[in-house]
Amino acid sequence: MSNADVDTARKPTAPRGFAAMRARVKSPVATPLRAVLFLIYGIPLLWIVLTSLKSPSDVISSQSSFVFRPTLDAYTDALGNSGLYTALQQSLVIATGTMVLTLLLAIPAGYGLARVDSRLTTVGLGMLIVLQMLPQTSNVIPLYQIFAQWNLLDTNAGVIIADTALLVPFAILLMRPFFRAVPVALEEAAKLDGAGTVRTFFSIMLPIARNGIATTGTLIFLLAWGEFLYSVNFFLTPGNYPLSALLAQQVSAFGIDWPGLMALAVITSVPIMLLFVFTYRLLREGLTLGAVK
Amino acid sequence: MAIDPTPTHPSRHGSVRVGRRGAASRFHRLAQRKQLLFVAPAAVFLVVFAIFPVFQLLRMSVSDVTVSTLNDTWRFTGLENFQSNFASPAFGETVLNTVIFVGIVTVLGLVGGLAAAVLLSKSGRWTGFVLSLLVFIWALPPVVNGSVWKFLLGSSGLFNSIGLETGLTTQPIPFLFDDSYALYSVALVNAWAVIPFNALVFRAAIMGISQEVFEAARMDGATRWEEIRHIIIPVVRPTTLVLLVLTVVYGFRSFDFIYVMTFGGPGVATTTLPFLGYVQAFVRFDFGLGAATAVVAVVMVIVLAIFYARSVRREEVHS
Repeated sequence: MSNADVDTARKPTAPRGFAAMRARVKSPVATPLRAVLFLIYGIPLLWIVLTSLKSPSDVISSQSSFVFRPTLDAYTDALGNSGLYTALQQSLVIATGTMVLTLLLAIPAGYGLARVDSRLTTVGLGMLIVLQMLPQTSNVIPLYQIFAQWNLLDTNAGVIIADTALLVPFAILLMRPFFRAVPVALEEAAKLDGAGTVRTFFSIMLPIARNGIATTGTLIFLLAWGEFLYSVNFFLTPGNYPLSALLAQQVSAFGIDWPGLMALAVITSVPIMLLFVFTYRLLREGLTLGAVK
Repeated sequence: MAIDPTPTHPSRHGSVRVGRRGAASRFHRLAQRKQLLFVAPAAVFLVVFAIFPVFQLLRMSVSDVTVSTLNDTWRFTGLENFQSNFASPAFGETVLNTVIFVGIVTVLGLVGGLAAAVLLSKSGRWTGFVLSLLVFIWALPPVVNGSVWKFLLGSSGLFNSIGLETGLTTQPIPFLFDDSYALYSVALVNAWAVIPFNALVFRAAIMGISQEVFEAARMDGATRWEEIRHIIIPVVRPTTLVLLVLTVVYGFRSFDFIYVMTFGGPGVATTTLPFLGYVQAFVRFDFGLGAATAVVAVVMVIVLAIFYARSVRREEVHS
């Protein structure tokens, strides 16, 4: 199933001919339904932005839902707070660190599991599936204790390690089919030419699987960027929180300053949006490759 | 989908082997041993940071561990933690919440995902735009989506504003602060959040159907609805099976929307089983009790994982 998906998703669909035109005439229900779908997913996005541009008093009065005087106060407040830059930096460090460490572990493992056929492989894959499905709320309990013992609490390394442990199973399972799609004959030819296993891996397998690496890397970065449970619990002071944890902490507080919070939500989302613009194709296809979120 | 637990079939191995079987296969076995080493770093890492914690969790669940004894030796208490969990009425309520929550997320997630996929399986600029919007929503951190929905459903949020303005309601509806609404509200938002992923997976399956099939159906005068019933639904059935398990697991594991929107409240109205374990450990600081709840959750996940492995294997056989 794995790589057939990618191919079919890429194939241009529906020859724009007579049949396609007839179909459009024949389904008058589809267009309004598509509009409904658009609204269901578009309105929350629009609302984040609108609210972030309101003054706190406009948020409370229902009359000014749509008609209000936009203000950038929430943003100037947020950006004037030096804590925000620390949080942004923490987000970048944790997401990048997690992505790098996860790829370092998952790329070779995905390759190994794609090539070795033994009962061990089956057992390993089964365990990865189970690990990937474990509730994070269960993992956080023993990890907190283990990190306390190993002095990893309140460190970036601790959060990066925990995020990596959470995401490596997913990353391996995502990488594996990309390696499996490479014909074994190609590798064997390289070996007959005198390249060792390691060299074959670096000079043949890695370049061919670069799409898979890019997809996996992007997904891991996105997931690590949004992760907040480990950050909230392993960092002992909010001063070290990444953006996601800061947002989670503020939204569950009483008496929320909504414009400020939504401004924070927008700021948290901007890097994701940038990444999204550049990797949309990868995401759209990578997602269908057995991504579990 | 990418995951297939069946080992590579020997026939997949290239033509190099033909005619030089003996040497090539020894060569192959030697290569495999080296390739197995590639798995070693990840294996070691996962044993230390993923599997060892599960054992530690098991040990905690049969011990008396509080925040002050966390790093001392733990007193062994046998099944006491489990017993006190099962005896508390909140636990039963939590299990019921979990069933309702997972049920809503799964049914709406699958039906909504398939509906969205059907709507988005035709090419076109408008379709492409809506599709990218869905992927973007998926890519956003859950904490962002959860925050917006907390606001939208709040007493001065969009829904209550519309209700009050149009006179449909005279008082704001406490979507998140009322025992009877809160669980459904959070579950609906979770379903909303899982639909984009399910829609993409369904869409990939639908796009795999040859256009000629649809053209032939149209020649025979089939309506779009008939196409959906007789072509699309049978084709996506194996995908549905895999997605079913994935969505159940997603709903079961979900904590981010609960954390952000209600933190399990009011009371335990939106506390699911995995979230209860978290609250017991990190809010009430009873790590032993929390670990016991978490162990119950882990066992449930293992059962689901077995279903998942089976349904994936079945799909592989069919495809």
